[in-house]
Amino acid sequence: MSAPFAVSECRVCGYVAYPPRILCPVCAASDWKRRLTENGIVTELTVRRPVSKRRQLPSGNWLDQEETRLAAVQSDAGVRIVARVPAGVEIGDRVKLTQMASTAIALPGQVVEARPAGDGGSAAAAGGGDGAAAGDGAAADPIVAPLSDYPGRTAS
Amino acid sequence: MAEQHTRARIVGAGETPYQRHPSTERRTETFIAEAVVAALGDAGIARDEVDGFGVASFSLGPDHAIDLTWKLGMTIRWVMEDTNGGASGINMLQHAIRAIEAGDAETIVLAAGDRMEKREFHLMTDRYNRVARDYMAPLPLNGPNALFAFLTERYGRQHGLEREDFACVPLAQRDWATRNPGAVYRAPMALQDYLDSVPIAPPLTRYDCVPIVSGGDAIVVTTEERAAKLNRPSVGVRAIRSLFNDDHQDGDGVNTGFAKLRDGLWDAAGVRPEDVDAAFIYDDYPVMVLVQLGDLGLIPAMDVKRYLHKTLLEDRFPVNTSGGQLSAGQAGAAGGLHGLVEAVRQLRGEAGERQVDGAELALATGYGMVLYTHGSSHNAAILERVA
Repeated sequence: MSAPFAVSECRVCGYVAYPPRILCPVCAASDWKRRLTENGIVTELTVRRPVSKRRQLPSGNWLDQEETRLAAVQSDAGVRIVARVPAGVEIGDRVKLTQMASTAIALPGQVVEARPAGDGGSAAAAGGGDGAAAGDGAAADPIVAPLSDYPGRTAS
Repeated sequence: MAEQHTRARIVGAGETPYQRHPSTERRTETFIAEAVVAALGDAGIARDEVDGFGVASFSLGPDHAIDLTWKLGMTIRWVMEDTNGGASGINMLQHAIRAIEAGDAETIVLAAGDRMEKREFHLMTDRYNRVARDYMAPLPLNGPNALFAFLTERYGRQHGLEREDFACVPLAQRDWATRNPGAVYRAPMALQDYLDSVPIAPPLTRYDCVPIVSGGDAIVVTTEERAAKLNRPSVGVRAIRSLFNDDHQDGDGVNTGFAKLRDGLWDAAGVRPEDVDAAFIYDDYPVMVLVQLGDLGLIPAMDVKRYLHKTLLEDRFPVNTSGGQLSAGQAGAAGGLHGLVEAVRQLRGEAGERQVDGAELALATGYGMVLYTHGSSHNAAILERVA
């Protein structure tokens, strides 16, 4: 359910994109490679208030009754990431970024979770390792396949 | 004075009362249609004179602008539909001015509106764009509040601001709103009320977030010649500038494209920031009011703290005199026209109890369309009263 976190890097000029783009904003090339991005620093943090009623949206995403701790993370690759963080993570902490499965049913998602760096024993951090991200087709492609084109997608 | 001022005039403005929990038969098209009728009535222009129509809405679908014009009985020769949220109002105005100058249309109605309840709001944010749906909603983000909590924290750090400082924006706007019968939050608010309000995504609390309402806004734009025959003050547009996607989301979100369009805007208008009598700043969150005022040159020496406490709260420099979206409410895409409607009322001297004395020159802005971490769309117009 989790994989190493990767961003897209322009093979021509090295520009780092997340989420992926089609043409490079710097050099206009369309040749991207996947670049693993393990760590980053938490720059801002908030706790999003839960909604009053849990329900599913047409996209398959859930409105969650749980509080969600969310952070802006300055990744080592340079690009700023919006990630979910567990309790205990604070501003200034160095965190390990992990790509999690979506909360949507049976859909590979793009949820990024940031855990304290060195927290290797957690289930989230133990997920991948070789970068192949088997079973998570979205993460394996430099240009992430949009979920709407996922063949198993249903509209409820 | 610069030479190339635009040759179109805003001659009417209308807004439906903003409503919470409207009855089910009041749909998005109902609100938009009521705003159109109100704006035409305000202008004193008959529907059959209208030959151009533009609309922005998150929830009009599956209908489009053309369906609305049919339902409104309009035969037109210019149509547009704008999808740029908080930047849609000024974007449509920019296009409408050029169409009128080019002779493609003579009289254009620009409208925006949404029936927006909790359910519709979640549907809107869920399908806002692919990134929102595929990257943000699964976190689950539940709308943009957390992102603007980050921007608030970041801006506060850069300028040494605490909650008591940010409070000046909603407090000053609420003071204006007590004199706007159309605002949904009209009760006076004290600093303690703000500090005690419910946390939404700290540091953001309830009064940092716009109340979600249903409603519609519209303005009427026409030629100088047609405007002159109406025998009432109208509003001229001295300059209008837009900038989209200037930083590819790589910036920090609090130093924005407004700073890049600033010089061109003021030069074209032939006036300076200190000449402005009132400002109508897209206020999805207090931090964005400050970001825009600062980037557009209205905060002297970028002493934000002084501006907040002295200029906004003590001197009551007129910013968002309707109460803004923070007090009047955000009716979906109508938020992009709300500031223009209030600007027109002020410049024509028709803002009732909240009328700003001697309002001749105004700044109006649009901002929005978060692509990943912050808004991508910036625009601004310098408006003037034409007697």
